[in-house]
Parts: sequence; C-alpha cells; structure tokens
Amino acid sequence: MNEQGTPGTPVSEEELHAYVDGSLAAHRRDEIDRLLESNAELAARVSDYFALNSMFHERYDRILSEPVPARLRPPARRRWLDAANWPQFAGMAAALILGIGIGVGTNMGMGRQAPFAGTGGDVSARRVSADAAEVFARQSAIAHVMYAPEVTRPVEVGADREQELVKWVSNRLGTNVRPPILTRTGFELMGGRLLPGDDGPVAQFMYHNEKGERITLCISHRKVSSDTTAFKLYEDGPVNVFYWIDGDFGYAVSGGIDRKVLLELAHDVYAQLTAEGTVPADSATPKNTD
Amino acid sequence: MNVRDGLMDHVPRLRRYARALINNRELADDLVQDTLERALRNAGQFRPETDLRAWLFTLMHNVFVNQVRKAGARAVHVSVDDEGLPEVEWAVSGNQSQSLEVRDLDYALQRLPDDQREVVLLVGLEEMSYADVALALGVPIGTVMSRLSRGRERLRALMAGTQPGAKLKVVR
Repeated sequence: MNEQGTPGTPVSEEELHAYVDGSLAAHRRDEIDRLLESNAELAARVSDYFALNSMFHERYDRILSEPVPARLRPPARRRWLDAANWPQFAGMAAALILGIGIGVGTNMGMGRQAPFAGTGGDVSARRVSADAAEVFARQSAIAHVMYAPEVTRPVEVGADREQELVKWVSNRLGTNVRPPILTRTGFELMGGRLLPGDDGPVAQFMYHNEKGERITLCISHRKVSSDTTAFKLYEDGPVNVFYWIDGDFGYAVSGGIDRKVLLELAHDVYAQLTAEGTVPADSATPKNTD
Repeated sequence: MNVRDGLMDHVPRLRRYARALINNRELADDLVQDTLERALRNAGQFRPETDLRAWLFTLMHNVFVNQVRKAGARAVHVSVDDEGLPEVEWAVSGNQSQSLEVRDLDYALQRLPDDQREVVLLVGLEEMSYADVALALGVPIGTVMSRLSRGRERLRALMAGTQPGAKLKVVR
C-alpha cells in the first residue's frame, strides 16, 4: 500500500485492507498478525473481510466457465476493419470466396466489363483492387453478422430520424449519401450507423421485411477511384454479399436471405445509387423524356 | 497487443464482474457487449504498452456509470434475478464455519452504493491493485480506499443483518 507504516505505529484503516488484499509489506503484515492475536474484535472484522473476498469467488467464479453467449463472441474476433491485419485477411478472404464474378453485365444492360474475370494481362495490378474489394465485402459480411441479430440496438440512428442520419453519414463520408428505397423488394429502412473503414467511415444502412429478415447495405467512399466492376458475390457461411465498385464508391449488400432476392436488392440499390450518381430515386426529379 | 485479438481472453472476466455488479444475466451481458463495442470503436485509443484488461475495466466503468445515470433519470427499476440458479448450487457447504453466508451476497451487494460496489468487487473479486482501481475509475487512490473501507463495512453489516435471527453487528 502507499502508506506503509513504520514499525510500532498504529495500524491504519488502509493498512488493514491492504493486509486483507495481500498488498502490505511483510514487516507490517507480521505486526498486524500479532495485533490480531490480541484484539478479537479486529480479528473478527478482518476475518469477515477475508470471508467476503472468498465469497465473491465462490459465488461468481463459476461465470468464468460459463459458455460465452454468441452475442459476446463475434465482436471479439475482428469484427470490422483492422488495418494491421489486412494482408492476412485478404488472403483469407480470397480463400473463403466460393462464388466470384457473377457477371451481371448483360442483365444490367450496362455493357460493363467484368474486370476480374480474366487471368491474363495486368492481373497483378488488378489483384490489389480485387483484394481490397473482397476485403470490403468480407467486412460488410462481418458487420452484418455483428449488427443484424441485434435486438436492442440494431442501428445507431433509426429511420424515424432519417434526415439526421442522412446528414450525419453524408458529413462523415464527405459526399451526399442517402439510403435507397427498397420497398419494391419488400424491405424497409430501419436506420443506420457508421463503421470504421480503410477508406474512412463506412455507412451501414439496415433494412427489414415483414418476415423480420434483415439486410444491410454498406457504402464506402473510396480514396482511389477505379473502374466500375460487375456485381460479385462473396459468401461467408450463411451470409451472402453482393458487392461492386463504382468509381469513388464501394457498395456491399449483405444478407442471410435467398440469393436471388439479395441480387434483386442489389439491382435496386444499383439503380438508385450507382446509376444515378449518389442521388436516390426518391429525391431525384422526375425524369423528363425530352 | 492488438485489441481485437486480445478481447476474447477478457470476456469471461468482464462477464464475471458485470454479473456481480448488476446481478441480472441479461443486463450484465448487455454491459459487457456495450463495453466490447466501445473497445472496438476506440481501439485506436488503446496504447499497446498498457494493460488491456485495465483499459477494458475503465471502459466498462464508463458504460456502467452512463447506464446508471440514464436509468436513474428514468427511474427504471432493475430487477434482480436468480433465474436458473437453484439455491443448492451456490449455498455454502455446511462444513465451512463462515459467519457470513454466500446466499445473501447478491442481495447485499445490490444494496451497496454503486461506487462502493465497484471498488469492493474490483479489489475483492478481480483482485486489482488499489492503484489500478484508481486508474480504472478515474479517482484518487484515497477515494478508492475510503470507498473500499465503507463498502466492506457496509457489506459486512448487510450480510450479518440478512441472516434471520442473527444479531446485527455493531459497526465502528
């Protein structure tokens, strides 16, 4: 303890506790030992203090061996970004990918190239952005698993405060970002939150349908602009993620739902955000056909 | 040490402390979860040369204090549960000659002021040094000592008082 009395001085309250907690210097400990032999009342008190400490352990130590509930496990693993671990993640992510390069160019009618489809040419240059995009997809999947099952606080700002949410994420991402409207596919906005990302904050919007299924949309504002990519599928356990990059923005739609529905959602998101810049359909002015 | 990698190792102890502090399984795990989330959000603030466990207890203390403040403002009653814990599971076996009984511990702890309960548990259960407790709670070490002293005495009196027929000990 901090106030270690000199031999012979009266025992202080602090020293008594330090004695119980085993942090008293040896010479004072001996003195207190002797004191307790002759002072029954003090001895009873000290004995009760010891008893309290051991009761704490008797009562609560069993919690140490209880299985940790699921909700306390995912965050302990690298839930979201960890720059230091990225290289190893990229490798893992690549290994985990089961389906890749779902080319939807024709479906989308955009005549886009599928940049990761080939293996010739400037593979190495593309490998970098491919890995970064995959990592983004993986992190979106992890963030989905992290927050979608959340009962009490799935989102930080609810849809009832959408304006505030839009302002918040737009400010932090440094660009105008709005959650798209996905009611066509039966999904309604619940709200959103910000997550830390390699390229700065990532906006995560969460939606749910009548069945209570939840999907999340992650949008990152990339530092490096790159070509538009086709939709790609990242699969991690029960969670599917469709992701793509469009210039400054990375998008990832995650959900543990039917892949076809998820793809449809991704199309909706694309149509509202990517195809029309960052202005979603709801706030876009009605289209004038010449 | 990397915060994310290290977190998992500390979860059991965080849970133990939270359960003793709150005595409601769900609310205690909520506290742990909030603490973990805060740790991940603020992982950049953790200085690798310092003790991760101490840092986590600091975060947990901050979350706890916020919750208590909010709960106080809304006058929410936090229920104490013993669900799924038959008394025999944790009753003290008869051959122990303890003057205090484990069965009353939850009850007595919940009747300590929050700040005293924290100190008594961090010292007695978590076996943290007084200096670490002072750091975790952001108070001077003298405050830790006085809370410990008052908390233990009060707990002792409460434990004695909750035993039917036991005479109340005079606390000096």
